[in-house]
Amino acid sequence: MTGKVSRRTFGAGVISIGIAGPALLGRAAVAQETPKRGGTLVATWGGGEPQACYVPAGGGSSPTFSSSKLLERLGNRLMDGRFVGELAEGWKPAADFKSYTVKLRRGVKFHDGKDMTVDDVIYSIDEIWKKYAAASAMTDYAGVTAPDAETVVVAFSKPVPEFFFASLLCGPVNYIVPKHVYAGSDPVTNPANNAPIGTGPWKFKEWVRGSHFEYVRNDAYWRKDQPYMDRLIIRYVRDPAGRAAAMEAGDIHLGVFNPVAPPDIKRLTATGKFVATNKGYEEAVWSTTLECNVRNPIFAKKEVRQAMFFAVDRNLIAKTVYYGYARPGTGPIYSPNVEFFSKDTFSTAFDPKKAAALLDAAGYPKKADGKRFTVNLLSAGWFTENGKVGAIVKQGLEDIGVGVNLTVPDRPTSIKRIYTDYDFDLAISNQANPSEPVPTTTQYFTSDGIKKGVPFRNANGFHTDAVDALVEQIKVETDPAKRKALVATFQKAISVEAPLLPLLELESITVASNKVRNHSNDPNYLAASWYDIWLAS
Amino acid sequence: MAGQLNRRTAAFRLLRRRLMQAVPLILGVVIINFCLIQLAPGSFLELMTAENQVSDPETIARLRTTYGLDDPVWLQLVKYIWALARLDFGFSYRQNIPVIQAIWVHLPATLLLMLSSIVLALSVGVAAGVVASVKVRTAWDTMVSVAAMFFFAAPSFWLGIMLIVLFAVKLGWLPVGGMVTIGGASDSGGGGGVLDILHHLVLPTLALGLFYAATYTRVMRSSMLEVAQLDFVRTARAKGLSRNRVTVSHVLRNALLPVVTILGVQMGTVLAGSVVIESVFSWPGIGSLLFDSVSSRNYPVVLGIMVLGSLVVIAANIAVDLVYMWLDPRIEIR
Amino acid sequence: MNRFEFLGRFARNRGALVGAVLMLGVAALALLAPVLFPTDPLRIVGPPELWPGEDPDFPLGTDSLGRDILAMIVHGARATLLIGLFASAVATGIGVTVGAVAGYFGGWIDDAAMRAAELFQTIPNLIFVLTIVVILGSTLGNIVIAIGIVSWTPIARMTRAEFLSLRDREFVQACRSMGMGNARIITGEILPNALPPVIVLSSLVVAGAILFESAVSFLGLGDPNVASWGRLVGDGRQLIRSSWYICAIPGVAIMVTVLCLNLIGDGLNDALNPKLRDR
Repeated sequence: MTGKVSRRTFGAGVISIGIAGPALLGRAAVAQETPKRGGTLVATWGGGEPQACYVPAGGGSSPTFSSSKLLERLGNRLMDGRFVGELAEGWKPAADFKSYTVKLRRGVKFHDGKDMTVDDVIYSIDEIWKKYAAASAMTDYAGVTAPDAETVVVAFSKPVPEFFFASLLCGPVNYIVPKHVYAGSDPVTNPANNAPIGTGPWKFKEWVRGSHFEYVRNDAYWRKDQPYMDRLIIRYVRDPAGRAAAMEAGDIHLGVFNPVAPPDIKRLTATGKFVATNKGYEEAVWSTTLECNVRNPIFAKKEVRQAMFFAVDRNLIAKTVYYGYARPGTGPIYSPNVEFFSKDTFSTAFDPKKAAALLDAAGYPKKADGKRFTVNLLSAGWFTENGKVGAIVKQGLEDIGVGVNLTVPDRPTSIKRIYTDYDFDLAISNQANPSEPVPTTTQYFTSDGIKKGVPFRNANGFHTDAVDALVEQIKVETDPAKRKALVATFQKAISVEAPLLPLLELESITVASNKVRNHSNDPNYLAASWYDIWLAS
Repeated sequence: MAGQLNRRTAAFRLLRRRLMQAVPLILGVVIINFCLIQLAPGSFLELMTAENQVSDPETIARLRTTYGLDDPVWLQLVKYIWALARLDFGFSYRQNIPVIQAIWVHLPATLLLMLSSIVLALSVGVAAGVVASVKVRTAWDTMVSVAAMFFFAAPSFWLGIMLIVLFAVKLGWLPVGGMVTIGGASDSGGGGGVLDILHHLVLPTLALGLFYAATYTRVMRSSMLEVAQLDFVRTARAKGLSRNRVTVSHVLRNALLPVVTILGVQMGTVLAGSVVIESVFSWPGIGSLLFDSVSSRNYPVVLGIMVLGSLVVIAANIAVDLVYMWLDPRIEIR
Repeated sequence: MNRFEFLGRFARNRGALVGAVLMLGVAALALLAPVLFPTDPLRIVGPPELWPGEDPDFPLGTDSLGRDILAMIVHGARATLLIGLFASAVATGIGVTVGAVAGYFGGWIDDAAMRAAELFQTIPNLIFVLTIVVILGSTLGNIVIAIGIVSWTPIARMTRAEFLSLRDREFVQACRSMGMGNARIITGEILPNALPPVIVLSSLVVAGAILFESAVSFLGLGDPNVASWGRLVGDGRQLIRSSWYICAIPGVAIMVTVLCLNLIGDGLNDALNPKLRDR
């Protein structure tokens, strides 16, 4: 390295930790104004068009983005951490925490005019949540009943912590769907998935495939006088440069989830007409992870697994691959998680000498050709950055004497090889984790998380009785302080065992025109309903 | 009069024969691609169940039956071919719409790009070839030949990127990509009209067409020089016809024959090349549909694109043969 | 026509001479790659996005991750030439076999072979290559085979035409009357005479294979362990606003190589077919 000034300046730099964090890049938003009514907002995001507008199982970020404007959940989490009701007015636990009484909002109508009733809620929980949207979260679910027309009681076979239940009600795709549209059909193939009917602030108008969704204001929306705008258009542009050009021309007002390449983010904000912010992703923190397949006897010892992480220069990856819009990861609980993140964890920060020493001690010295052993590294090709991360990981490992064969297969092959065939030694993948660790985070490390063929579960094969028992305790501990301590123990244990750890926590960026008001005001803004967004003139 | 009647019947005979020959060709295309897709690791069903978080074996079995994946492979192939015979291209499972609809949305953009590139290539190529042959061994000839060599060797995707860097990024004259300016305020989705599309069409057409223009230049040039030496041309000159008149009516018409032949042969590569150019310029044609479909193992759409692509090639070849016949009535295509 | 005549005719075509010399240069670079640049070209060795000339250590600059572009170009020459040669070999192998059999035996074998050729000519070739590579995986082997599969038809047609004209010659009939088997006649007698135009065509197939491979790598479907020129162009796409040299340089390399191959092909053609006077 020559020490010359790099053409590339550092990226976001300022890391906004937690929900109540600081800073917008670019001009700060103006203080309270009267919302202007009418007009059309054109939005886009950094990915592609979804396969259907609504996918009952979630289907990834793309259908979540498109469906969340039309369908709503029982509750939502605010930026300051509070849970508030949306289609529910509130909920409270029973004394033994084995059931929760949920009071429903009255006067809510679906887009086709029919009322939302307890039947819709019961159907959604029993048929959609339990089977598709939240199947792994509802393992202890024991049924839902409706004592009267405005209340449902959700029962479990074991005590359920309040934070967990609230997160379930507010889960991004745990919607209330109309029973009269979905009952009797196969929800996965129901044609309503391409033109959803919900209770949300926006009504589906048209899907021009390859181009955009057009939504119009729901005049019968239960929040009086909202939404403010007439139309919401979600535009899909294949190429980040095209999105940047469209935003510059004023044709797209708002882009969520890294709509443009990092150099363009700087360029746009430098014009003074745009702001870029990392707020709005606190409940969906993305990471790039590295995992070791413990089925390979080499990875049976935790020292060898730790060595894999010690060998990788995470700061280099953050700088060169993510332009600074990332920070090194530490453990399975991510730093923006105010409830559960603990700094007390086992660090595997870049230390190649330590990595080499660990491998020597574990019985894998350098042989005559300089190599200790060879591994297959599979870097999932659904993000182009993963290929580059793979190259850097390969280099780091080769520097300590581990031979690496790198493959970067496409999405279906990656899913199959990692989560069905377990055909890898090391794998680079991604996760998006909410604050509630069960089950999204924990299912990567437990024995019941090993489900062949289901992606984004435990593919590395790691499980111990101790961790399994710990997670079982976390599931049923209703005292928040005790629960936090248990999760901290879990976090430390996993970072020591190192079967799967985040290489980096990624910063997702929203780019918006100065004129857009009330954006990035939800901790999972991509999955928010955008009922209060408006455009100043 | 009789000659014209003969030509028309000859044309019809050609048409009928070619259409009949097309059937086994299409069959071959379908079989090859079907086998190819079956070899793929990670089938459509695996991907779909993965995305829908379905691991319950009963549900998976039900989905297999729904999508006809229960049948043995050869039966699936037979069913597909039978449906194809009734012009039913099948269903795109991923998008829940018929394959035809999925392709129809994207096909016009690709055809537009192909057409404009061919027009560019023919006009520039023929003109340049004629100029070079008429001014043979002068500076004009050298310039044209050198330019043709460069555009023949330059990879089209690279040429496209360089054009973007020059005309869109540095000079700002032309758009960076896409087919229309992304408006959204007034009408849904599309901004401008024909002019806007033409504006966006310039760079992709150049990127795709210049390679073929270079080909036609070289062929046209050597063809013109060859024909000019032939007897019947000398006869015309001897009869006293002006040089230009001879060039246009006799030489040109005959010299075009090799160009027309090559055009037919190259139709497949033009279609393939447009897929790459569509990627460079984010042109919303079937290229993007093809990538998405192969990535999601959506084989009905992939097969549909292959079949339609082959149909386009066959149709173009038939058209080329008809043009060939018209250009040189002495030739009867066997 | 003896060897000297051939070379003399070849050398008379100035363009072909330039092409041959440059091509030797490229081949030399490819051979000497591990000597000139012993470290893995895919290693990160410097600060990212350095312009050419900014730093004497990196004469052609660095890419988005900080790899040395000059090293990648030189090593890429290796990969590119190897892929071109192997793909051309596959195409020639298939094409010569099919064409020889079709031209020699005629009849229904000829019909079937020509139908097959037409089939492969109808499927849009790059689309077919992309489909094969995505489905079977992006290894060098698959790419070589895929390119070979779509490139054999012109060679088959040429070989067939040659065999058709040669099989009824006297020397072949003499061999037959001597009792020579078909296989020996095909491989020992006709094939050596049929080869020269096929060789010319093969050189063009190499050029085509290089363009195919670079397109496949550009689209991100190439082997990630290989520093291919096409992949470099593809990697640089995001940075055309600031660092467009990342796209420009490898593209020039591809163009120069293909140009040389075309010039050589033209020269070979001229040397073998002196009838065409106008060059």
